[in-house]
Amino acid sequence: MKRAIAMSAGMILSGLIARALEEAPLPAWNGTERADLESSGWIPGAILLTGDPVPDEPGEVEPPLNVELPSAEEIIDDSKLINEVPEKYLAAYFAERPKTFLMDPQELLGPSDFRDRLAFLNYHASDSSIDLYVYVIGGDQEFPSEVRQEEMIERCFSEGRPALIVYYYLGAPQRSEVYLSPSLTDVISAPEQRRALESSILQAFEKTDPSGQLERFLVQMSIRIYWMERKLSGASDTSDEAQGATIAPAAHMVEAAPAVKFQWVRDQLRHFAMPAAVLLGIFLTAFGISAWLRLRRRYRFPEFEVEPRLGGAHAAGVGAVISFASATLPPASQRDQVPDYLRRA
Amino acid sequence: MESISRRFPQVFVAIYTGALGEVSNIRQFGFWLLNRAAFEDVPVEKPNEAGILITIDPESKAAGMVFGYLLDPFLEESDTFDCLSRAHAYWLEERYADGLLRVLAHLDGILTKRSRQARRDPEHFERKVLPPVQMGDLVRRIRAGHRPPALGKDQIMEVEK
Repeated sequence: MKRAIAMSAGMILSGLIARALEEAPLPAWNGTERADLESSGWIPGAILLTGDPVPDEPGEVEPPLNVELPSAEEIIDDSKLINEVPEKYLAAYFAERPKTFLMDPQELLGPSDFRDRLAFLNYHASDSSIDLYVYVIGGDQEFPSEVRQEEMIERCFSEGRPALIVYYYLGAPQRSEVYLSPSLTDVISAPEQRRALESSILQAFEKTDPSGQLERFLVQMSIRIYWMERKLSGASDTSDEAQGATIAPAAHMVEAAPAVKFQWVRDQLRHFAMPAAVLLGIFLTAFGISAWLRLRRRYRFPEFEVEPRLGGAHAAGVGAVISFASATLPPASQRDQVPDYLRRA
Repeated sequence: MESISRRFPQVFVAIYTGALGEVSNIRQFGFWLLNRAAFEDVPVEKPNEAGILITIDPESKAAGMVFGYLLDPFLEESDTFDCLSRAHAYWLEERYADGLLRVLAHLDGILTKRSRQARRDPEHFERKVLPPVQMGDLVRRIRAGHRPPALGKDQIMEVEK
């Protein structure tokens, strides 16, 4: 009984709740109410309580600006945003073949960043037959027009190891430029260079800070140089793998990292192998000579006058005796068994 | 044995193996043999004083080692005992040759060490074989070292006053 009452009360309660949740319909106008109110000029609550459309808010219409559109030449030559590299740095950039793989005479990179990037480039050079030279320029800078890059490349990189030269605009990796030393220009096609540059730029844009961008750029460029090197060495089927390197650089990074990490150990071993071998040879020779001399050495005893004892003309019998009759009688238990009458007076 | 003779030109090693029979004391036998024997294959310039005799009696299962007066300052009874101890395990199994090799190897090491010590400090070994000091000598030495103390100048002045 109680259960039936509870069920009926629940049904009633749920019905009331459902009715309360139903949205009440908006009020409708009766007869000429609307026309009367409109005649008075204003209908209070018409926007909120009825479905009347919201009238446009009055506002001041600004007159259109009469600005002259930029010409095509101005769009192309956006020189007002670009500064030229100060002339005092040009000699440091282009006077001779760079001594280091990272050229940053303006010191745009911080000391630690410069050190890290240079270390990476050194590792790359030790592991690759194609050097990677990087000229760091400000993102809003450019070289004066009188600087001809081709002439500089020809002058500085026509001799020595083959090299890939990058003009990297710090903070604007999309402006980066790539050049090849003369020994590589005929071997590596322009589309290949372009693809390497584009993939490096894409990798750089995965970071937001300029230093991180440069790091990613260099890593990807190093990977692309590796595939260029493979191509130079005649390895076929590199194109597909090269594409794979672009798509999944992280995997190659994982493989390349240990080689780079332990490169200094290999360098040290290579550097010290010959001196160590020479030292080892000298040591072994000295040891052998010493052992040989020790074997050939003659030992002499000084001869002292000894008073004969016990009537012995040559010996007095001072010596030990040991019994080996039983394993239960070890030598340690036989010590001190010389008779007193044989001891030296 | 040849190696020891070559490395220590003054010294030779002799080995006697055999049952001693009625000779009950192996040490006495070694003493007698080293004093009386003439070793045919030992050069004449090497007297028995420079000999080291190893005696092994397989019957009584005992071994002894005696040496001549030349090595008296340099070898102790404990040294010979250590040499023989090296062979104990081999001789228990009647491997006499192996045991003798161990004895000679250890003897070589001891002689090398003592020879170096003797070259550095011969007096240390010489003192071991000096004849014992007699009581009369001791008294004479004390008296020779005793002198009346010389009087100082101040003491003489006081006497004059």
